[in-house]
Amino acid sequence: MNAPDKAAPLATSGKRATYCYQCVAGPDLLTVKVEDGVATEVEPNFGACSVHPGGGKVCVKAYGLIQKTYNPNRVLTPMRRTNPKKGRNEDPGFVPISWDEALDTIAAKLRAVREAGLLDESGYPKVAANFGGGGTPQSYMGTFPAFLAAWGPVDMGFGSGQGVKCTHSEHLYGEFWHRAFTVCPDTPMCNYVISCGANVEASGGVVGVWRHANARERGMKRVQVEPHLSVTGACSAEWVPIKPKTDPAFLYALIHVMLHEAARERLDLEFLKQHSNSPYLVGANGYFLRDAATKKPLLWDLKRNAAVAFDTPDCDPALEGSFACDAVEIGPDAEVLAQGRLEGSPSFARLVEHVRPYSPEWAADICDVPAKTMRRIANEYLDHAQVGATIEIEGKTMPYRPVSVSLGKTVNNGWGGFECVWARTLLAVLVGGLEVPGGTLGTTVRLNRPLAERLESVTPGPDGFMHYPMNPTDRENWSQRPNIRNAYRTMVPLAANGPWSQALGPTHFSWMFQKETPKGLPTVTLPEVWFVYRTNPAISFWDTKGVSATMARFPFVVAMAYTRDETNHMADILLPDATDLESLQLIRIGGSKYIEQFWEHEGYALRQPVVAAQGEARDFTDIATELARRTGLLEDYNASINRGSAGVPLKGESWDFSLNPAQAHGRDEIWDAVCKAASAELSGGKEVHDLAWWKENGLATKPFAHADWYLFPTLVAQGLRFELPYQERLYRIGKELGKRLHEQDMNWWDEQLAEYQVLPKWKDFPGLWEKSLISMGGKTQDFPFWLLTSRSMQYSWGNNVGIQMIHEVADNVAGHRGVIINTGTAEKFGIADGDKVTIATPQHSVEARAVLRQGIRPDTLLLIGQFSHWATPYAKDFGVPSMNSLVPMSMALTDATGSGADVVRVSLKRMGGAK
Amino acid sequence: MSFGPKPWHQTNWDFRAAFNFMFGSAGAGLLVVVAFSGVAGGALQAEILLGMALIGAGLISVWFEIGRPLRAMNVGFNPFTSWMTRESFAAGLVFALGLAAVWLASQPLAQAVALAALVFAYCQGRILQGAKGIPAWRVPALTWLIFTTALAEGAGLFVALTALFDTPARGALGYFSLALIARALAWSIYRSGAAKITVPAALAALDRSGKILIQFGTLAPLALLLVGWFAPEVARIVVLLAGIAALATGWQFKFVLITRAAYNQGFALPRLPVRGTR
Amino acid sequence: MTRWAMVADLRRCVGCQTCTASCKQANATPPDVQWRRVLDMEVGEYPEVKRVFVPVGCMHCEDPPCMHVCPSTATKKRPDGIVTIDYDLCIGCSYCAVACPYQARYKTDRASFAYGKATAQETQAFDPKRLAVATKCTFCVDRIDAGLAKGLTPGIDPEATPACVNSCITQTLSFGDVEDPNSNVSQLLAENQTFRMHEELGTGPGFYYIWDKKDREEVL
Repeated sequence: MNAPDKAAPLATSGKRATYCYQCVAGPDLLTVKVEDGVATEVEPNFGACSVHPGGGKVCVKAYGLIQKTYNPNRVLTPMRRTNPKKGRNEDPGFVPISWDEALDTIAAKLRAVREAGLLDESGYPKVAANFGGGGTPQSYMGTFPAFLAAWGPVDMGFGSGQGVKCTHSEHLYGEFWHRAFTVCPDTPMCNYVISCGANVEASGGVVGVWRHANARERGMKRVQVEPHLSVTGACSAEWVPIKPKTDPAFLYALIHVMLHEAARERLDLEFLKQHSNSPYLVGANGYFLRDAATKKPLLWDLKRNAAVAFDTPDCDPALEGSFACDAVEIGPDAEVLAQGRLEGSPSFARLVEHVRPYSPEWAADICDVPAKTMRRIANEYLDHAQVGATIEIEGKTMPYRPVSVSLGKTVNNGWGGFECVWARTLLAVLVGGLEVPGGTLGTTVRLNRPLAERLESVTPGPDGFMHYPMNPTDRENWSQRPNIRNAYRTMVPLAANGPWSQALGPTHFSWMFQKETPKGLPTVTLPEVWFVYRTNPAISFWDTKGVSATMARFPFVVAMAYTRDETNHMADILLPDATDLESLQLIRIGGSKYIEQFWEHEGYALRQPVVAAQGEARDFTDIATELARRTGLLEDYNASINRGSAGVPLKGESWDFSLNPAQAHGRDEIWDAVCKAASAELSGGKEVHDLAWWKENGLATKPFAHADWYLFPTLVAQGLRFELPYQERLYRIGKELGKRLHEQDMNWWDEQLAEYQVLPKWKDFPGLWEKSLISMGGKTQDFPFWLLTSRSMQYSWGNNVGIQMIHEVADNVAGHRGVIINTGTAEKFGIADGDKVTIATPQHSVEARAVLRQGIRPDTLLLIGQFSHWATPYAKDFGVPSMNSLVPMSMALTDATGSGADVVRVSLKRMGGAK
Repeated sequence: MSFGPKPWHQTNWDFRAAFNFMFGSAGAGLLVVVAFSGVAGGALQAEILLGMALIGAGLISVWFEIGRPLRAMNVGFNPFTSWMTRESFAAGLVFALGLAAVWLASQPLAQAVALAALVFAYCQGRILQGAKGIPAWRVPALTWLIFTTALAEGAGLFVALTALFDTPARGALGYFSLALIARALAWSIYRSGAAKITVPAALAALDRSGKILIQFGTLAPLALLLVGWFAPEVARIVVLLAGIAALATGWQFKFVLITRAAYNQGFALPRLPVRGTR
Repeated sequence: MTRWAMVADLRRCVGCQTCTASCKQANATPPDVQWRRVLDMEVGEYPEVKRVFVPVGCMHCEDPPCMHVCPSTATKKRPDGIVTIDYDLCIGCSYCAVACPYQARYKTDRASFAYGKATAQETQAFDPKRLAVATKCTFCVDRIDAGLAKGLTPGIDPEATPACVNSCITQTLSFGDVEDPNSNVSQLLAENQTFRMHEELGTGPGFYYIWDKKDREEVL
């Protein structure tokens, strides 16, 4: 176990080590200088730079933490709503109350709920909870997860950004194909990256930015394909301004060039044969041909000149051709579709035929990208792939393929997301670049278990592929009655049934179905108690007006409130929790994690109170303990902590720091036990360090093997293949799901069911948004612009719009003050820089200042970040709108994974008429 | 606040600084012409006092702009390189000699004042020209434009004042005409220099102002003087108008120069960074 | 001799403004005063357009126009190249601000705070000496001097290094002694092609921008 470098000036010198985990790309390890009890300066924890993969540096957001602590707009006492009416235009009339009154009120409500039953008449949990920030609030909420675990069923599927704001298709298909909740290049070793809208320079955090800066200087070429010149586009070698939502066509054209124009030998044929399902024979019905006895998929062995089971040793499988063999073809619900002497062709051959029409010339008009550009990029990708090369890492010899394709938000979610993620993963497979050094990697798992051990989540599944905890679709096990309101188990098999599955379902259903629940689902109800922490769905989700109106109907809302905001405007009780620099928690760090956090160490880091909590703010752990005690759940709560809900089980092989379950424990006592258990776990029981040690040292780690960044060796060791390019399993599951739904007379998901394909076809994806426009009563010519958004590194996830310094420095980055418009377009519309403009859909409109830039397509508008605050102090004066007010929430814009995308057709007018 | 990178207008010096250049150079120009105009006695004393008052008004105006007015005397600490320090020394000299000249109603002293005033006017030109951050100011020819407009404004003021009481002497009018022509020439040279380094917005502001300087501040006064030459019965009124025109247009030019045309340098990249591959 | 200088590798900068934020915090500058900041520039026209992020601030010039024009001698240049301002001498005339071709100087006439009234942090850091006088990047001269006194190397040891450099998440910013041929910055300058901002004005900035590596033969 390594303590940080001795040179690290920590608590004794007036600097205290802590972490910032305000965004998914964290945590960043930092120190805070304290003078006379006042926090004055954030710095990188220089003692951590030897273990941290981003040089131990700290993101800009963390520098706002001091102002965050002293922000005079903070809520600093518990508050109670006095106005029973809720709504944007209602003054909540919050009045200060004591902690006792606040906790007693909540506990009384919870006890009443518990006595009447945890589920409501529809079978949904009566208690719901929302935590935003892609899971980052868990690094601030102390032992609250233990309280929730002690409580029982909780609906955590009310969307606050998930689905429409996350890389949803990548999450689901990524985990399915290569245990990749998120995907990125192996940047330190990669030489060529095609980046379709991935904005790593804004969203990759310190580590992502650090790695890419090194790669750039090293000579890695990145081609940025996106409608506007983002921060990442700026830092790329080339910008390809593609038409919004046409990325599948672009990627298909690249695949076409590789399969129809390049010599076969340029592909990694060995990888295709041995590590993918390319050689699996596919029958007339589109399903694998299987051995009649073992039901194993067959391939054609050129050595034996016969069909053999896929796992037959020493064979040379055919990738192309057509072969007759004795086989069985099994469809949905185990139905035998054909048997006997069947004709089949390898799935690779099917793929080749599938992409035949998708030439660069075909894609050029769709994407508004010249065919020669696409052809050149495809060839550059092949040129850089180094098919056949190997590299040794920590004694393991692995393929070395320094090429990758990364996808960004709005490309890899919503309609078209599946096609893009499939095409991207296939581009890696074709050159043998999936999960190998230099290639395309998954970072972590959130749907598979165990959460912290990606490689251990790999277990054998059917047909030589990895197991995936799919929500069942067979007649016996399909979940007809959803466990929570967004119905992820019922509607989205790929959402799985893992730790994060609730949040990865169609989370807008929980809001959307409040108006009317579609046929076949139990009526979607309001939660009786709703906990809200570090999330603001009234700003961050789509159709924010509708979401706000719905949450105003929630009968009892408890919000942990930093300042007043648009969501806690509807709250009944506000609780001031101690913020980042005021509270205590130990979290796991290291290993591999999104966005590009690939460490060579793993361990734990402590967040400790740097200064005293302001006002009456309380540590979340103390709040959770008190809630547990007053609700009568103390034993279960303590037991949950003992089991590991504070991040590490308190009892191990040779140690036991378990808490007495019958007793309420103070914050420091709980975390002291956690600290001891964590250090024991790290050292295999050899070292036990208490809270005081961790406060002094801040973090401790042990080595994490670099070779464990790559999944490929694990698959090889288990004799497993990547489930690409052919999607027989998904196709079957889709058919089964369709049957289950139709058996219940549920036909409203049919468009989505069509997404389950063996090889995804191009559809007119932009046309879906044009149809949506028409359904809103608009004409495409009247709403000629595509409105998009882009991440702001300074704000994203940070819950920091009320921080003056963040606002000030973010304003240095173009677009933070208004809507980005192409300069030439603006000229045509008589719009000058700084003019006020109206951006509208047929249903809603917003006002913004024009920011004229050259780096955006003439048919595209861009609103960075998510603003349009109307209650959050300071931020409500920005005068910058958000596209969330304009994006409609609809079934038609929901894809099969349950996600939408941040794109909408709009009109643009200069206020007061063109100049 | 805008940080560019395109040049934006400086916000450091406003109308208060502009007043220093407007009043100061007119005062200096007046002191120059008075000293050699043959005016004597009370008129000499009054006009020297007026010249000093104008310079003083300019300095008081700028005193209201500086952040630490109580430390104003520190302005004199850098005579080795700062034209602002030198301006303050010149102003001090003007005041010291001027008061003596007034006290003694002495023409030789008045001429010494004039020399100090010339130095003062030159210093003002060099102050602006030393502001490297403002392209419209650092044009070398600006020094001479500021200097000649001081002479023209001072002469204009002098002939206008004289015209209130009497028909100005031909010598004074000749000097006035020469100053106007010199100023127009200086403008022309300055303008071609400014065109090379200023942004379009700055040049547009300068051109608008320069047009006024030429049409109403040069051609019109010269035409009026011609009218006066040929029609002595209206000579006083046309000279009065010519003088005011020369003064007012000089002032408007400097006001624009400080508050409208003073775009800063902005930022520019001679090379673009290579991102990954050349 | 020592000549402290900053090197910014424009290939690496992503415009994240972490340096801006860290500078604001380390130097406790009031709202809208950014001694270090990063410009977001566009060059060219759609679709042939490039976007470049450019860290700027006081360039600590070899021949600083601000110093020459300063009437009070508040602005001085140290033998190690750092241009300083003596807040006790400065009269706040802003002549230096208009003389600086890098827009690096600020003057705040009245105390201003993030949220109107000073927070605890702002109260502690407030320095009335800085009101109504010129201020600018100091290269964190206090850190350098204190670090040197402890035997540390500015640009290498964080304690002796400007806050912006310490904070930079892309290693865009490097700081060191360009007179020392073995220093980090000297090596960067030897291996890469650089320019300085507005070089034609003859100010001799102590701030270099890397835009490409040198070809091997150029390095040799």
